[in-house]
Amino acid sequence: MFTLLALCLIPATRYYQIDEPLLKLLRGSNHIDPLSLHLSGEFVENNLGTEQDADGSVTVRMIAQQYLFVPHCILVPAGVPVHLKITSADAVHSLTLNGTNYAVKTLPGTVSLAELQFPRTGDYKTVCREFCGAGHYAMRSEFKVVPRDQFPALRAGERGACVLQ
Amino acid sequence: MLTVMVAAGSLILVASDAAPDRIPSFVTWSAENIAAASSGDAFRGSLLAKRCDHCHGAEGFSPVASTPNLAGMNMLSIWKQLEDFRSHKRRSRPMEPIAESLTPRDVADVVSYYAELPVFPDPQDNRVFPGMQPEAGRAAVAARLVTFGDGERGIPPCQSCHGPVAYRVGVPSLMAQNGDYVLNQLEMFASRSRFNDINLPMRTIAALLSEDERRALAEYYGAGLGLQPAGSSGSK
Repeated sequence: MFTLLALCLIPATRYYQIDEPLLKLLRGSNHIDPLSLHLSGEFVENNLGTEQDADGSVTVRMIAQQYLFVPHCILVPAGVPVHLKITSADAVHSLTLNGTNYAVKTLPGTVSLAELQFPRTGDYKTVCREFCGAGHYAMRSEFKVVPRDQFPALRAGERGACVLQ
Repeated sequence: MLTVMVAAGSLILVASDAAPDRIPSFVTWSAENIAAASSGDAFRGSLLAKRCDHCHGAEGFSPVASTPNLAGMNMLSIWKQLEDFRSHKRRSRPMEPIAESLTPRDVADVVSYYAELPVFPDPQDNRVFPGMQPEAGRAAVAARLVTFGDGERGIPPCQSCHGPVAYRVGVPSLMAQNGDYVLNQLEMFASRSRFNDINLPMRTIAALLSEDERRALAEYYGAGLGLQPAGSSGSK
């Protein structure tokens, strides 16, 4: 009887949005609003790209959207841990790095985290491996892996990416 | 040594290369904004749009090729541009003060008026659009980019966002757009002097295109070839 009553109350809690704190807890810290990525939070424009961490590793922040990965070319040093944070602004995409085992699915509303490491230098082409619409097959980008000593020293607040060509 | 220089030269410092505040646009496509943008009264808009006639034409087809045609453009995209002019996220000496003088209701009304105008221009009234047919080789280059993009370089096909094959929210249709205007905007995106594309799609793509390709695309759209899906007509 009590269970039935509780079940009836669920739609009401959603309607009045008193379950927001609970939802926040369930979603976890990876939740993000895909519509306002560009306004605030860690995926604003000047925070995208490669960030140098204090321990020598790097953090890469990217947005996947129809039909581009942004930034379009990522510059990372070889042989150091790369923490990838990627989210989607619209549909479901999947970042797949050719020549590696890495594939990261990106969902709107969630930040996907992945730990990558590139032992060899070179250009790794990436493709979207989740059908995302009319331009899906042209949705590609590039990871440029350079030797560690050639990776430019970034000051605080600076983010690295390759120049578009 | 050379590789070191190349690696250093290939780095752009995203944080420091433009305006201090890097929010490209305050527009978000939330349900409230979409409702606000599509709630206009087209008749009231038609009266307000008398002020726009001089540059954008009485039927939404501009007499000057460097000014955009607004006839039949989707509502949300004109609304976004007016909002961006208002917040100075898109720079234009004539349009910023005009957009500032409009109330939110005026914007919605004008937008719904232009969205209702037919995209096929009256040939007697309009001398600019459609423009000259591009030379066959250049048309083929443009048609290829419009239909297929260039997967190798990561350039998606134009018609997958700008229609008529598919649209994204807030993306303008280029069906009936003036060539000079398209070229101008592509160059401004490429040089980053226009920066109101949310999450950088057009700045990225325009920079990936070569100068010739930008010109070919502008001629393609300016000649009215974008009215039908690329590849469906004999234009290829």
